[in-house]
Amino acid sequence: MKKIGLFYSFNTIKTAKNAEKIKNAFGDAVDIDKVNVEEIDEETFLSYDNMVLGVPTWFDGELPNYWDEFMPAIEDLKLKGKTVALFGLGDQVGYPENFVDAIGILAKALEERGAKVVGLTSTEGFTFERSAALRDGKFLGLALDIENQAALSNDRIKNWVEQLKAEFN
Amino acid sequence: METVELTSVEKEKNNEMTETKKFSIKSTSKGLLGRWYHLMTLGRALDEKAPNYLKQAIGWSYHAPYAGHDGIQLAIGQVFDKETDHLFPYYRDMLTSISAGLTAEEVIFNGISKDTDVAGGGRHMSNHFAKPEWNIHNVSSCTGNHTLHAVGVGRAMKKYKHEGVVFSSQGESSVSEGYVYEAINGATNEQLPVIFVFQDNGYGISVPKKDQTANRKVADNFRGMKYLKIIHCNGKDVFDSMNAVLEAKEYALANSTPVIVQANCVRMGSHSNSDRHELYRDNAELNYVQEYDPLAKYRRMLVRYKRFTEEELQAIEAEVKLEVKKAHKAGLTAPDPDPASIYDFVLPEAYVSEKYPEGTHSFTGNEKKLIEGLNETLKAEFRHNPDTYIWGQDIANKDKGGIFNVSKGMQQEFGKERVFNAPIAEDYIMGTANGMSRFNDKIRIVVEGAEFADYFWPAMEQFVETTHDFWRSKGQYAPNITVRLASGGYIGGGLYHSQNIEGALTTFPGVRIVYPSYADDAAGLLRTSMRSKGMTVFMEPKALYNDPKAATPVPEDFEVPFGKARVRREGSDLTIVTYGNTTHMCVEVADKLAEESGKQVEVIDLRSLIPLDKETVLKSVAKTNKVLVVHEDKVFSGFGAEISAMITEEAFETLDAPVKRVGSTFTPVGFNRILERAILPNNDKIYAAAKDLLDY
Repeated sequence: MKKIGLFYSFNTIKTAKNAEKIKNAFGDAVDIDKVNVEEIDEETFLSYDNMVLGVPTWFDGELPNYWDEFMPAIEDLKLKGKTVALFGLGDQVGYPENFVDAIGILAKALEERGAKVVGLTSTEGFTFERSAALRDGKFLGLALDIENQAALSNDRIKNWVEQLKAEFN
Repeated sequence: METVELTSVEKEKNNEMTETKKFSIKSTSKGLLGRWYHLMTLGRALDEKAPNYLKQAIGWSYHAPYAGHDGIQLAIGQVFDKETDHLFPYYRDMLTSISAGLTAEEVIFNGISKDTDVAGGGRHMSNHFAKPEWNIHNVSSCTGNHTLHAVGVGRAMKKYKHEGVVFSSQGESSVSEGYVYEAINGATNEQLPVIFVFQDNGYGISVPKKDQTANRKVADNFRGMKYLKIIHCNGKDVFDSMNAVLEAKEYALANSTPVIVQANCVRMGSHSNSDRHELYRDNAELNYVQEYDPLAKYRRMLVRYKRFTEEELQAIEAEVKLEVKKAHKAGLTAPDPDPASIYDFVLPEAYVSEKYPEGTHSFTGNEKKLIEGLNETLKAEFRHNPDTYIWGQDIANKDKGGIFNVSKGMQQEFGKERVFNAPIAEDYIMGTANGMSRFNDKIRIVVEGAEFADYFWPAMEQFVETTHDFWRSKGQYAPNITVRLASGGYIGGGLYHSQNIEGALTTFPGVRIVYPSYADDAAGLLRTSMRSKGMTVFMEPKALYNDPKAATPVPEDFEVPFGKARVRREGSDLTIVTYGNTTHMCVEVADKLAEESGKQVEVIDLRSLIPLDKETVLKSVAKTNKVLVVHEDKVFSGFGAEISAMITEEAFETLDAPVKRVGSTFTPVGFNRILERAILPNNDKIYAAAKDLLDY
């Protein structure tokens, strides 16, 4: 497996903690660079063929500023040959109309530029009304809800990483 | 300046935007990006400076900070074109107003309530930014109340085939107000180019939006409405907001239908300077709303995408600093309002009758019923002035013309564009009248405010609002509206078809209230109302519509000036001051007393309650020395209390007896005729009181 770029904001607490869990789940055999999204440029982003992106949903279904501010750059990138997997925190009870929307917003933008999105997961076990992250009944990444289902996160991460090991090049 | 601004926007749109996103950090011209940064920095500087004026006891006691709404407010102001559009900002729309063209000085003049405040010379609350001459309207503090006005302007745009849109801006919590639903329902039904912008910061003061409505995004409540486009955007992001508002305007113009733009914002500060958000927001929330700061985000993007250097941005910031300093100095030296000016602009000028200066005539033609006087005058005025409109419930459907057929035949003669039905929504009837009147001052509107005066209460908030407008805008906007209300009892109508409401309405400065008793006066007062500026409530004693007692000859061009009472019967022993249904009873009682005792009772028909003809009343009191005030409304707190107090205060020395009053009991009007008779005044009650006074 090629080296993975694990992108998330180093200023976050919850997303950073789960990013760390994901890294650990891959184990030492997989080469992973942790990259602070708040400081990335196009060159850094393009230097990885396998990427895991941490994208929590803010407020009523928005990207965090740090990803939102990078979106104009993404719009001009050629991402053919890149494989990306996204994970994101959301709150299915407080924001059931926009549960993990940010995963969907970012995933679709990357796909439009040619990236292949992997790591789709089942919605089983979640209760929500709408999500921009849905495609054919699956999330376009790993949804984590530590506000309401924190106890399930470890297993969800473990299963997802196993899936990614098979889906990444 | 504004035209240049918008020309740039249009240019940007045509030349530089090739993809679906018309504005982006990469494609937008540097000139426009820089201008936006200037506006946003200026707005934020004033937003942060405003509380200092209160701390220094200079003013600006109400300030609702907008920080966190920067993207959407910039966008509304940029897309608004003062040459073609109308804008109704709300009390948090400081940047909207600046972006639309208000200067730093104008914002400060409003904030510290100076005479030079272009919104209205310090008469309205601070943070209520407006510039009526640019169609940036001076709006109420009742949140969302201006949505109805926006719909009214939209109606005028459509009727006059005007190419433009109306922007109505508000917080998401104000959508809980019932009249906002009426406005959006009406805008969709009439297919009007109105853009409702909901700036959603998650709170109505301290009330979270989960306590307002079930949908997180309140715009979704309107999803089922036909002809309504709903656009969601990130109100914290300049580009997303610009694209959304421009899309809304293009859509509204192309389709002549309304659009809702729901803009996700955050409130970085408290609701206002009387609120402390740390009482109900935890530290995590207080931190993340700061993280969201739209201005900081925009600045970061300008640098990140190399559109501006740090030095260039600092230069703009320095310019803004100087601009604010200069505006601050101008604010401190600007004149305050003159306390002697408080009586200016309570009411705009009334039509002056040259032919009938006293509102009397000696015409001897055929008698006409009161309803005929009204119907024929309405038609005559509609022929006289093509900018006249009438609407209300039941106003026009084939042969039906109003609940009592007062407007019968009007739609057939003047068409559906000028004579039309309104939904069963009294506030909508009243509020859209206020709005449509804002389009230009040639327009004269007549509304049947409600099917019966008793149903006018749902429209009260718009009535109150309309009484404020002329004064509050320092004479810049006069609502030119005649509000017809079928009033009073004696028809066995019960609690919602028989009451009088003038006792309540006359407590509001800013409206004329007339109440004729005879066909000729009804015709003359209606003509004067429809030719005057300002609002007139025209109370119609519905029991007299077809009563031969109220029938008179009516000169076809008759005019009755406001504030001119008419002596219906001369006398020297007692003055009865009355109006409406009871005028006829008083004349009959006077005749009876003359016949029985030879005593002569003078009956004064006020015709106008506001303005009140004190001169005629006091002159009569000086002659008779005794006064009976009679009206159909309740004695307790009825309008007669004001007349009685005025006479006692100004003519006490001439009185030989206490001023007595006859009117309804302090009860609702009962439905059963036995109850109605016990409650309403009649000849016997008036006779007994008059006799008491004559014998005093």
